[in-house]
Amino acid sequence: MTRLMLGTVGPIEWAAKAAFYGVAAATLFSAWVTVSARNLFRAALGLAGALFGVAVIYLFLEAEFLAVTQLLIYVGAILTLLIFGIMLTARIADPSVPRWNQQVRASLALALGLGLGLCGIFLTTLWRKPVSDSVPMAVLGRSLVSSYLLPFELLSILLLGALVGAMVIARKEEP
Amino acid sequence: MIVPLPHVLCVSAGLFALGLFGALTRRNAIGILMSIELILNSANLNLVAFNRVWGSPDGLGQVMALFVIGIAAGGAVVGLALVLAIFRRQQTISADEIRLLKG
Repeated sequence: MTRLMLGTVGPIEWAAKAAFYGVAAATLFSAWVTVSARNLFRAALGLAGALFGVAVIYLFLEAEFLAVTQLLIYVGAILTLLIFGIMLTARIADPSVPRWNQQVRASLALALGLGLGLCGIFLTTLWRKPVSDSVPMAVLGRSLVSSYLLPFELLSILLLGALVGAMVIARKEEP
Repeated sequence: MIVPLPHVLCVSAGLFALGLFGALTRRNAIGILMSIELILNSANLNLVAFNRVWGSPDGLGQVMALFVIGIAAGGAVVGLALVLAIFRRQQTISADEIRLLKG
């Protein structure tokens, strides 16, 4: 990382930077489609784009394992589940159904103010010099089964509970 | 790191703001769920970015992000099950048409 920061700015680095900003813009646009699309199926496709963009940003942050996990779990599993849910519930593409409720103006002002305010804070803060290097995948795996073993196992219990609970909630009621 | 940290954080703030807007304004319950997924992703992005520049050597930030992804999966499953159950009873999943508890 220091090698990249200290060296002269080459064409490859420029290309990487341009790629990052392109991916960031595409991610934010997809997120906007997610929250604004009238057709809920289109919103789900926008969410797929946003999640994919976040996975690519993970690659820029040198977190390869997380990027792949993001693709497998979010884009592969959660999104499929959401699309199933959308298709099982009717009236998804009906143009007479309003997409937003009456709080649009207040929410837009709140979200815009919060986003721009946070951005301004991030850009004007004097950050310390970066110190740590990227985490190798072997270190990540080892700490998952040593230092953070207890939350790891608790997460598996939580997922089991969610599985059973979802089946109980969503099954047909007995006559 | 190729790009400066504040720019990554700005992307995360934008995702959070969009997710917040969607969660507050969407009428469809599945739309609200999708907005919440956006918010969780922005939090994950922050965890990974900060872990990259000032993280602990054992990768705590990435481990936390993995846990968040797992919990988000559980939340989506239960949320969708609730949406399906509500749809079966009420024939609607608009969040402002579900007012069983309103006196």
